[in-house]
Parts: sequence; structure tokens; C-alpha cells
Amino acid sequence: MELAWYATLGLVFAGYLVLGGYDYGVGLLLSGIRDDGQRRAALTAVGPFFLGNEVWLVASLGILFGAFPRLEGELLSGYYPAVVAALVGVLLVTVGVQLRGRPAEPAARARWDRVVVAGSALAALGWGALFGGLLQGLPLDASGHVAGIGHLATPFVAATAITLVTLVAVQGATFLLLRMPKGQAADRARLVRRLVPVALGAVALATLLGSLSADVRAAVHPGALVPLLLLVFALLAARLLAERRPGWAFVASSLALVAPVLLVGLGRYPAALVSTVDPAATLTVAEAAAAPATLRLLAWVAVPFVPVLIGFQAMSWWVFRGRIDGKAPVYW
Amino acid sequence: MDPLPLARLQFATTTSIHFLFVLVTLGLVTLLVYLQTTSFVTRKPVYERMVRFWGTIYLINYVLGIATGIVMEFQFGLNWSGLSRYTGNVFGAPIALETLLAFFLESTLLGMWIFGWHRLRRGVHLALLYGVAITAYLSAFFIMAANAWLQHPVGYEVRDGVAHLTDFTALLTNPTFTMALGHVTSAAVLTGGMVLAGISAWLMLRRSPDYELLRKSLWIGLVTVTIAGVPLMGFGFAQFGAVGEVQPTKFGDDAAKAQAVADFTARFGPGDYLPPAYANASLGFMILIGFTLAWAFVMLPLFYRDWIVRLKFPLVIVGLSLPLPFVAAILGWLTREGGRQPWAAYGLLKVDDAVSPISGGVMLASFLGFTALLLTLAVTNWVLIAKRAARGAADPALGRSLADVTAEDDDERRPEPALAR
Repeated sequence: MELAWYATLGLVFAGYLVLGGYDYGVGLLLSGIRDDGQRRAALTAVGPFFLGNEVWLVASLGILFGAFPRLEGELLSGYYPAVVAALVGVLLVTVGVQLRGRPAEPAARARWDRVVVAGSALAALGWGALFGGLLQGLPLDASGHVAGIGHLATPFVAATAITLVTLVAVQGATFLLLRMPKGQAADRARLVRRLVPVALGAVALATLLGSLSADVRAAVHPGALVPLLLLVFALLAARLLAERRPGWAFVASSLALVAPVLLVGLGRYPAALVSTVDPAATLTVAEAAAAPATLRLLAWVAVPFVPVLIGFQAMSWWVFRGRIDGKAPVYW
Repeated sequence: MDPLPLARLQFATTTSIHFLFVLVTLGLVTLLVYLQTTSFVTRKPVYERMVRFWGTIYLINYVLGIATGIVMEFQFGLNWSGLSRYTGNVFGAPIALETLLAFFLESTLLGMWIFGWHRLRRGVHLALLYGVAITAYLSAFFIMAANAWLQHPVGYEVRDGVAHLTDFTALLTNPTFTMALGHVTSAAVLTGGMVLAGISAWLMLRRSPDYELLRKSLWIGLVTVTIAGVPLMGFGFAQFGAVGEVQPTKFGDDAAKAQAVADFTARFGPGDYLPPAYANASLGFMILIGFTLAWAFVMLPLFYRDWIVRLKFPLVIVGLSLPLPFVAAILGWLTREGGRQPWAAYGLLKVDDAVSPISGGVMLASFLGFTALLLTLAVTNWVLIAKRAARGAADPALGRSLADVTAEDDDERRPEPALAR
């Protein structure tokens, strides 16, 4: 039961990274678009999905709280700075995207767009730092407390934070490739091809720093190589497919965002939180889970309703499928 | 520096700001359901204009509701890890259900509603709004169940030092839940009515165009305030008995208080088990505001021959009353939450044991940072609502297409929007 919920948690958070990933990716790419109308067009491409993307984060947090209350408390307070950075980033993107269309003056809209860019960068950096922090473990003592926040200040964590920014940028680029009018396809594909090597470089740097760090070597077992390879191949595939098959390129870059979740989940299993100071204090998935009665209650609700939730999301994807044109509804 | 008061203050500010937006979200979505249903049935253009105008205001407000809600959700883990650790098995369940069953759907459906103006059939589009409203109320249901559990823990047993869920239905029949849910939802509907009435009154005083829309909105708003006030007060006063029994230190008489304090001292050691004085003071002011708002019915006869507009001063009164329900709501929460101190979960877990083992400096930085950020965003949001409202009903943001926006300058006031399709 715990394993099923742990997998669900991973799945939902991966869903958030894939969907929220293109929100933030498009957000980052706004910085390169000079024209207000073009920025609005890019956000219109995200448009109908934006509100539905973010809920995956809230749902994963709900699952974390309901099914893994102990992990929730220790994870969020143990990685305080990373989580707060991500949270502030998410907040700025949410607010910026939804309010940027309200002022009538283009200058005010440009200010909100800068908020979106900053928020996207911060959100990706924060989640990337959290992944890095999870992979290197934290100074958890036997009572479940973490002393201080300095444990996050390592080169490896910095590298994973930057890596996630690049992955998210690739995701945003493939999304725009898929959604923007056909006429822009060549330019969009060129952007994807340029961004992928940057992302690969960041992955290589993070891998190198990780293999040099004793904490990371101790926390992660060799099974982590599989998701790492998946990440590299997915990025390469995104680059190769960008020209001809935008849909598949988007699938590939989405897989590149699923890979970090697999890396963190499989690479350390059965540990949910690895302690760097006391091996006995390492929190396993089974220990972190809520009591069986709670998990059963949640399962009774989740099994019939999750298909409904996904169904409504799928309805939204279907209704608003295809490339945007002059008739696309605008709100942002 | 002691992190506990900072964590509490951060929770109080975040929750208060969150609730101001939640009230309007719940209240306006209820009225939007009425407006869009009427528009669907009667096909009168004025109702469609009202949905698009009030819908835009609703959506601007909704932004901060989500933003602060996400902060709330994270805050439990960030600042109150002891609460997750000790009560997570029980308290986490309604929170998880809220995110999965309610909020997830609400946002997904709302996204489709916003962008569905030109794409979806009218019936489907209306059904989406019904979905948004139902899930919004479902959110309130689960969140109030979670809050009520902290007020009066039920349906659990303590094993191995942590609370375990034994009976989920007990959470839903909790005496601190049912009445409070009715109280909060009627407060939200009343606030929605007040927003309609208050903004319409100001726009009429400014002689904004589209008199028909504004007069109708003013009427609907004031009728809503009048009707919602009855259950609001009923559920409010009904809580004294129920809450007094399970929370003697909040509403009990002196003997009950003394007995509760003796009991807590025996179980948890000596300490200050009486709530702070502000909890009762804010209750008094809240009731005062409630009685003031109950006078809304006086305005209704003034619609005869439009006296309410001709006399002008009733409009000023309605406009000035706009902040009252918000103030009352905050005061009410101060009573409910402050009145149960020093408990995070009443009689089970003290706030001292619930707070995260974070250093005071980190907590201070987090408190100052988030408070500044959320306050700035809240004020910006209200300014945007005010500006949008001041531009009048002629140019709603809802239901435009990319060609509309690029073809015309955004500043240009467009005439009546064409109907969708």
C-alpha cells in the first residue's frame, strides 16, 4: 500500500513537472520575446491549460500530506530554502500570468512579464535544488530533526538547480513548437536544437559533481543510472525530432522531466529521506507513510475519482488541442 | 529569537489574506451560477454582460485565492512539521481529499470556462461553471472539516505516540464542523452580494454607463445580503452552545473554564491554558458588524421608482459598507483560532510542540518575506479589481480572441461585446 501511494505521489509530481514545466519554460522564454503581442501569443498557447497544470503540484502536496505526513513535515522543513524558493517562484508565475492581461498599458504588462520570467526561473531553481538535496541526503538526526539549512549549499545542489532550469526551458520550447502557428515552426525548432546541448551540458556537470560527492555516492545506488540514461536519451530525441515531429519532440522533453522524479524515487529506494549523519535515522518509505487506516480511506476515494480528474484534464487538452490562431480565446 | 510567535503570526497573516479572497471566490461563484443560468434560460443580453463583467472580477480575485492557498498548504510542512508528524494520519486526510476531489477539478474546470467562451456549446459552458461552484463548496467542506478537527479532535486514537484515524465519519459530524460550515458559507454568499452591491453603487455614483446592468447588480447584491444574513446569524449564534461544550476555555462559563484548566494542567503540566483577551473582543465587534449588515433590507423598498439612485446617499452607504463583511470575517477567525490557544489541536497538541525545529532567524526571514510578498500581491490585486471595475462593463476581458486583441488597441473602449457565436 505504501509503495502504491509512493508511486502515485511520484506520478503526480512528475505530472506537475511535465505540465508546470512548460508553464515555466514558456515563462523563461518570454525574456527573449521583445514584442508584447508575441508574448501574449506565447501565453495564449499555454492559456487554457495553465490553471489545470498547477493543480498537479497542489495534488502532490495533498498526497504528501495525507499519505506521508511524516515525510511532509521533515522534507519541507528540512529543505526549507529550496522549498521556499520554489514556492515563491510558483506564486509569482501564478499571479503574473493571470494578472498580466488586466492592465491596459503595455508597460504594466511588460512589468508583469518580468515577474513571470523571474518566477519561472525561481520555481525551476527551487525544485532543482530540492532534487539535488534529496539525492545528497540531509543531516537528519534520530528524533527526525534537521539542524540548520547550510547542508543545501553544495556545488552539486547548485548544478541540479541549474539543470532543472535548462530542462524546463527545453520543455517550454518544444511546447511552443507544438502550439504556435505553423509559420514559426522553423525558428522554434532552431531554439529547441540550441537549448538541448545546454541542458546536456548541465546534466553532465551535475553528474560529475554528484559522482565526486561522497554524500551523493552514499545516498544513491547504481539503479539511478537507468533514469539518468533516460534523461540523456530523451534530450537527444527531443533535438532530433524537433524538425519533423513536434509532437514527439514534446513527448521526449516531457520524459526528460519525468526522469528526475524516477532518479530520486528509484535511485534511493527504499529510503524516502537519507540521513548523512546517522544511517539509523534514514527515513524509509514505509516509515514515512501514514497509518494503514488512513491509506485505505484515501485509496477508497482515489481509485474511483482519479480517473474522473484525469478525464476532465483530458477533456481540456482535447477541446483546446492544435495550434493557436487568430480565433484562439485570449484571457492572460 | 523564538520561532513560535513568528510561525503563529505568519499563519495568521497568510490565513487572513487567504480568507479575504476565498470569501469573494465562493460568494461570487454562487452569484455567477445564478447569473449564467438566467442568461442561459432567458437569453437576455444583460445577463450575459453581467456574467462577463462580474466573471472578470471573480477571476482577478481568484488569482490570489490560489496563490495564498498554495502558501497555506506548504506552510503546514514548512512551519508546523510537529503537527504533520503527530496528527498527520487524521488531519492530513481531509486536506488530501480537498486537493484531489475539490481544488484539482475546480481549477481544471475553471480553465475551460475562461477559455471556452467561443468554443463550447452554451450548455456545456454553463455546466462547467456549475462544476466550478460545486467543487468550490466541496473545498470549503473539507477545509472546514480539517479545521474543525483541530478545534475538537474526534475519530482518532493515540498509538505509539501519534494520532491514528479510527472513524472518518466522526470528522464530518463534528459539532465544531457542521455549524461553522454553514456560518462560513453564508458569510461568503453575503460577501459576494456585498461585492456586487458595493461596486455597483460606486459605479452608479460615478455615472458609469450601462445603467441597466448596474441597477440589476445592485438589486441582486442587496437581496443576497438580506437573505444570506439570516442563516449567517443563525449558524453563528448556534455555535455558542456546541463550541462551549467542547472548548470550555473559549465559550464556557467560569466553572467550566477552571475545570478545563485544572484538567489540562494535570495532563500537560502547568501553563497558561486560557485564550488571549483579543479573542473575545473581536467576537463582540464581529457581532456588531453582523447586526449592521442586517439593515440591508431597508434598501430594498428604495428600489421603488429608483429612489435608491435618486436620493444618492443610500448608494454612498452601500458603497461604504463594502469592507464590513471582510473585517467581520477576520474578526470571526481571530475568535475561532485565537480562542483555542495554546492548542494546535485542542487538548491534544500544543503549538509549542507543533512548530518546526527551525531557527528563529530563518523563520523571521520567511515571515517577513512572505508577509511582504502576499500583502503587496493582495493590494495589487485589489487595485486591479478597482481599476477593472472603474472601466465599467463595456469592455470585459472574458470572451475575446487573439485577433480581437491584436486588431484593436487595448485601451479602446469597445461597444457591447458580440455574443459568443
